[in-house]
Amino acid sequence: MAVDLKGILSPFSALKQGVKPPHTVRFPREKKETAERYRGLHFNDLEECIGCGSCATICQNEAIDMIKIEGFETKDGDSGLRPRVDNGRCCWCALCVDVCPTGSLSLTKDYIYVTDDPNAFLWTPGVDNPDGKEKISFTSEEGKPLLDYQRIPMRELEGMERVKSFAEVVLGYDEEEARKEAARCVGCGICTEVCPVHMHIPEYIFAIGRGEDEAAIKIIYDNNPLGETCGKVCTRRCETVCAISKRGEPVAIRWLKRYATERANNADLIEEIVNPEILPPNGHSVGIIGAGPSGLTAAYYLSLRGFDVTIYEAKDKPGGMIMYGIPKYRLPLESIEKQVGYMQKMGVKIKYNTAVGKDITFNEIKEKHEAVLIGIGFEKPYELGINGEDAEGSIQAINFLRMVNSERPVDIGDKVVVVGGGNVAIDAARVSRRLGAEVTILYRRRVEDMPADWEEIEGAEDEGVVIHPQAIPLEILTDENNHVKAIKYANAEMIPDPNGGRPRPKIIEGDEHIIEVTAVIAAIGQGADYSFIPEDIMEKIETKRGRIVVNEKQQTSVPWIFASGDIANFRADAISAIADGYRAVKGIEELLLKKEK
Amino acid sequence: MNLEKENKFAKQINETFHSAVVKVQRERRIIVELRSDLIPPFLSFAKEYLSFIHMAHYSCVDWLEENKFELVFMLWSYEEDVMLIVKTKIDREKPEFVTIKHLWPQAETYEREIHEMYGVDFKGNDRLGEFILEDWDDLPPMRRDFDTVKYAGEHYFTRPGREDAQDVRETIARHSGEEIPDFAKKYSIRRDEE
Amino acid sequence: MREKETTLYLGPQHPGVTGNMMVKLKVAGDTVVKAETHVGYLHRAFEKLMEVRSWMQCFPIVCRICVPEPDPNEENLARAVEEIEGREVPERAKYIRVMVLELARMASILLWMGGQSGSAGLYTMPQWSVGDRDYILDLFEELTGGRVYHMYIWPGGVRRDLPEGFEDRVLKTLDYLESRLPDYDHLMFENAIFQKRAKGVGVIPKEKALEWGVVGPPLRGCGIKHDVRIDEPYEVYDKLDFIVPTYEGGDVWARAMVRRQEFEQSISIIRQVIEKMPKGDYYNKVPNPFNWIVPPGEAYVKTESVRGEFGYYVVSDGSLKPRRIHVRGAAYVHGVSLLEKILVGANIADVSFIMNSLGVCPPEIER
Repeated sequence: MAVDLKGILSPFSALKQGVKPPHTVRFPREKKETAERYRGLHFNDLEECIGCGSCATICQNEAIDMIKIEGFETKDGDSGLRPRVDNGRCCWCALCVDVCPTGSLSLTKDYIYVTDDPNAFLWTPGVDNPDGKEKISFTSEEGKPLLDYQRIPMRELEGMERVKSFAEVVLGYDEEEARKEAARCVGCGICTEVCPVHMHIPEYIFAIGRGEDEAAIKIIYDNNPLGETCGKVCTRRCETVCAISKRGEPVAIRWLKRYATERANNADLIEEIVNPEILPPNGHSVGIIGAGPSGLTAAYYLSLRGFDVTIYEAKDKPGGMIMYGIPKYRLPLESIEKQVGYMQKMGVKIKYNTAVGKDITFNEIKEKHEAVLIGIGFEKPYELGINGEDAEGSIQAINFLRMVNSERPVDIGDKVVVVGGGNVAIDAARVSRRLGAEVTILYRRRVEDMPADWEEIEGAEDEGVVIHPQAIPLEILTDENNHVKAIKYANAEMIPDPNGGRPRPKIIEGDEHIIEVTAVIAAIGQGADYSFIPEDIMEKIETKRGRIVVNEKQQTSVPWIFASGDIANFRADAISAIADGYRAVKGIEELLLKKEK
Repeated sequence: MNLEKENKFAKQINETFHSAVVKVQRERRIIVELRSDLIPPFLSFAKEYLSFIHMAHYSCVDWLEENKFELVFMLWSYEEDVMLIVKTKIDREKPEFVTIKHLWPQAETYEREIHEMYGVDFKGNDRLGEFILEDWDDLPPMRRDFDTVKYAGEHYFTRPGREDAQDVRETIARHSGEEIPDFAKKYSIRRDEE
Repeated sequence: MREKETTLYLGPQHPGVTGNMMVKLKVAGDTVVKAETHVGYLHRAFEKLMEVRSWMQCFPIVCRICVPEPDPNEENLARAVEEIEGREVPERAKYIRVMVLELARMASILLWMGGQSGSAGLYTMPQWSVGDRDYILDLFEELTGGRVYHMYIWPGGVRRDLPEGFEDRVLKTLDYLESRLPDYDHLMFENAIFQKRAKGVGVIPKEKALEWGVVGPPLRGCGIKHDVRIDEPYEVYDKLDFIVPTYEGGDVWARAMVRRQEFEQSISIIRQVIEKMPKGDYYNKVPNPFNWIVPPGEAYVKTESVRGEFGYYVVSDGSLKPRRIHVRGAAYVHGVSLLEKILVGANIADVSFIMNSLGVCPPEIER
């Protein structure tokens, strides 16, 4: 066999490597910096983190726990929990980083963790490495988000098309849009904390996302029988704290609720889907004054729990402010009738055209029922307090809205000024546009100070409403028939409040203007009218700044009287009224059933 | 997309095996569903006459809800560069099949694994028995009704120190006083559905 | 006189550098009479775990099926899911994927060089090749944040774009590795000892290769030219120019020569990728991972890994979790039915040498 000389000699060429410098790490040891994207130990910016727990949910190793740490409490928009990593389980895949809605969680360049304690495998990012911020390497900022930060847009009627009628402006999601929008939710439930009712938001959104609309409806009706109303007009605090909103547009919680509840398009269908458990009559009787959202909510859940409930309503339709105060382009009449129709099927009795103090006395109600819930709302408007206010053509916004909603004729002419900056003012302005008038809003402060929802303000502007901020009305001028002719106002400048409050408007002397108008609509707020309550009882009820003081179960200082809605909370919206109604159920249940024992 | 050769194969298959449900899934992929007793003749037909000489893969899928196991054979034709996916469903209660190791010797290994992981008995394969697992006396573990979490909980201890973990949803609900009814709870993403 | 047969347990602690598995040998003198593969030491039930995890949670699991070359796993899972979903992948992502796959192939061949020559007693070679492999791992660290487990290719594309100036550093590393090839040749491939050990050992009969399910370098080492990158081009392999090296003989030597040439082809492929890579998007976002439902369907996708055809069979029943993910590693066939056959008649000293040449990787067998 021939000798393979080349094969024997060529390996010896390796000897030349002996004179080359080594390509391993130099001696003395040089510290090798890790790459810019290195996936090392976790760091969490504890202040940015909202404790949504998405990191813990995505972790396929179950390496992340959400734990209570010192200095962070459960509060609105923050669960108060922070992630802790089990370094014995973690594989540093960094899905937790990519999925973090706030971007607070990242990985650092540190990868050496030495301890002589074999049990020290738990690592609370941000607490155990407060200096980690300096060493951040793998962040979610660098890549593309794993979550969907863009909301599925809501289709609406075009601005100038809307003013032609009272048709609903928002068109609602179709099935596909709803599924997609629902799929954006991370299911943390941070939103439920700020919802006055604490609706089961992640659950019904998940049900919608899975195509189980009926389950979603059932979940919504568990603690809110006016889900459809909320789906259309809720002030949706939930969306302001949505985890997705930290870096994107919040999940359209309101529109999803609207989508689900609208799927049950008649009262029979709601009954079939919700199919609630109804307890047998327990012999107790409750009277409710006012068929507004709080009264209806309380009546519904009390009926389900076996109480005999009667609502006394002064007007001829149910709903209170949601019936008369909210324009029909936001909340159609049929929608309210459907929801109330369902409640009546569940045993709620409503006596219309029965004003307490006029058609029936408060004492009669006291005789008939063991407990009374007052949910009369704020029906008495505040006056502008300027000359000419009582002239013909000077109207209060809530009276105006009530007349329009009950289809009674209102003459406002073709040039309207609305005074105020709340939702009622915007509603009055947008309704006036639909009646064919040109509309100007006069507001004391700046546009950004307006208490109305920004969507409402934008909607009004789209429809051609002119907003005139920093304008204070001085006088309403009348013609010879005592009819409104013009309004005189002065421009104002904003004076910073030395006590740190919001800036106050101050009239600029001499900067006065006059606008010719055919009507002035005042919308600067309302109060309650308690004159129907006999004095001897009213004396015992504690009130504060026009509102009745209640405990956490809506009980007043007179044990058998409960109060709810605008007269009992400072939030002045439907969802808070519903929450009051829901809490009152517990209070009344406790009062009456405990008495039995 | 040109599906000429895929359709040609589909036609040939249908002409010989009338009961075969043939679907051209995409370019280079043909799916054939067949009665289980026709599988051995079909496979040798595919290998000898249709040039599917390479058995690339042999899998089993548990369709628990239907009470069936699905055996899946992936065959590749090097001549035409097409994959034939042959599927058949067998009874899940008494899962039995015949070995195909006379066609492809490596099928023996696949059958050993499917036997161990799903409990399918392959007649004619004398090497069924312990393969990957050791001293296994529970349900065949790849069956969908075998619960890994439960098994791990029963057989391994959890390292102490993590008992203070809290559920975010529950923490918030507890703080706000929200009572989540049972019918809603199963729609919480945070809970495992299984 | 017939020699007395002895049972010998080779492994499970590391027979060569192919990982933890055991071969139960019956030997007569120095000659293997019967071989039986025993696995289970690396079984982690990944397939079962994935059935109880959401689709996105599967992604960090699969890379762990193969340490030297994890990327075909990630690529296969991603491509299977994309096929079921009908999801488009941006062109740039496809090029990046090919670059990652080829870099992984090179790193894996370097590791194999170490193992193959190490099991023949040439201990200088592992020092060199494993050291040089680290330069590729440096690139991975920069691109993906991890040296070994990259967790980089995921459904919809890749996870991050290339860092600034990354292409230049890849080219520089390729130049360096290319310059090292003559050294490897002198030390390993031209080495008389290596050649003598490798030639005529562990022969796979050519006429049986296809039927036995032999794939990858062992198949091409039988002179049969099949490569998934050519047979069923995936990503952008159809836009790249490369040859599929083959070698006659079916022995360890033939397989070594195939891999040696593939290393050069990979260098060429990566250079083309960098030249042709378009600008633009690198990720087509999948839905929110908490609510990501993959529509019902099934897909079998395959990749040419360094050991041969690597396949994923993925079945979705239209839920948040996979119904079934079944991994087909090349070693599943090479390490059990093939190994058991070709070890018969081999010398004991050649057993781990042959295992190395087949690329037997136990985690692929038991997963």
